[in-house]
Amino acid sequence: MEQLLKSRLTQVANDTLEKLAFLFAFPDSERVDDGPDPTVVGRVAFFGYFNGSLLMRISSSVIPELAGNMLGLDDGAEISDVQQHDALKEIINVICGNLLPTVAGDQVEFNIEAPKILSSGEAENLPENERPACIVRLTLEEGFIDLYFFIQGEPAELRLNYGSEQVQ
Amino acid sequence: MAVNVLVVDDSGVMRAMIIKTIRLSGLQLGEIHQAANGREGLEALNQHWIDLVIADINMPVMNGEEMIDQMLKDPDIQDIPIVVISTEGSKTRVERLQKKGARFIHKPFTPEIIRDAVKDILGDKVFDGAAA
Repeated sequence: MEQLLKSRLTQVANDTLEKLAFLFAFPDSERVDDGPDPTVVGRVAFFGYFNGSLLMRISSSVIPELAGNMLGLDDGAEISDVQQHDALKEIINVICGNLLPTVAGDQVEFNIEAPKILSSGEAENLPENERPACIVRLTLEEGFIDLYFFIQGEPAELRLNYGSEQVQ
Repeated sequence: MAVNVLVVDDSGVMRAMIIKTIRLSGLQLGEIHQAANGREGLEALNQHWIDLVIADINMPVMNGEEMIDQMLKDPDIQDIPIVVISTEGSKTRVERLQKKGARFIHKPFTPEIIRDAVKDILGDKVFDGAAA
C-alpha cells in the first residue's frame, strides 16, 4: 500500500506544481542530504472518512519562484513573506484535496483545515509516534520538496483508486 | 455590459490567480470585489451590485456551502450565478453544490476552464470579441 500511496502522491504533487506554479519536479527517493538551503515546513490536517495530515518540507529558495509563478509576477519582482507563505499553503491545500479522493474514493467526505506554516520549533519537534503512511521526495531545479502523508489509526475500508482499477 | 465579480477565497494568492485569469479571459469586467470567507462574501453581496460569485468551499468562519445556503434564502441575491472553485473531491458534496445551482471547477484549474465556465453561465455577449 505504501508504494501505491507514494505513486498517487507523486502524481498529484507533480500535477499541482505544474498547473498552479509551472514548476516541474522529479522523484528523488535516494536523496538523504538536504544540502545547505534552509527549509520551510507547512502542514494541513484533514478530518472525515479518516483523519490525518499532509506535511510539506520545501527548500526556502524554491518558494519565491513558486509564489511568483502563481501570482504571474515578473522575475525579480518583490514578493512578501505573506504572499510566499500563502502560496505555499495553497499548494499544500490543493495537493491534499486532490490526494484524498484518490485514496478514499469520491463517495466519502473530508473537511480540510486551513494549512499552517510551522515555526522552526514546531517543525523540529513533531511527535515521535507519528509515522507517515508514505514519504515522497521531489527535486526541482532550485531545490527540493518532501511530502509526508500521515493517516491516523487504521482506516477499516481504505481503498486506493488507481485509475480505473481499485485496489483494496 | 460590464460584469461585477466577487471572488471569495481565504487564500490571497488564489484570489489573485483567479482575478488574473478572469482579466485575461476577455470578460468585460466592471468592479472586482474580494472576500476571505463566506461571511465577508455575504457582506460584500449586501454592499455591492454583483453579477457573478466565484467562491472556494473550505474557508474559516463561514465556508462556501454555508454562504451559498444563505444566498439562496435571500431573494435579492439568490439568482446570482455562482462558480465554486475548490479541491473538493467528494462526488456527494459536489453534486449537492450543483443541486444548489453552483457550477463546479476543480483545483488545480487552467485559465481556459474558468473562461469556458463563465462563458457558459453569462454567455458570449459579456466577452470581448478579440478574446481567445
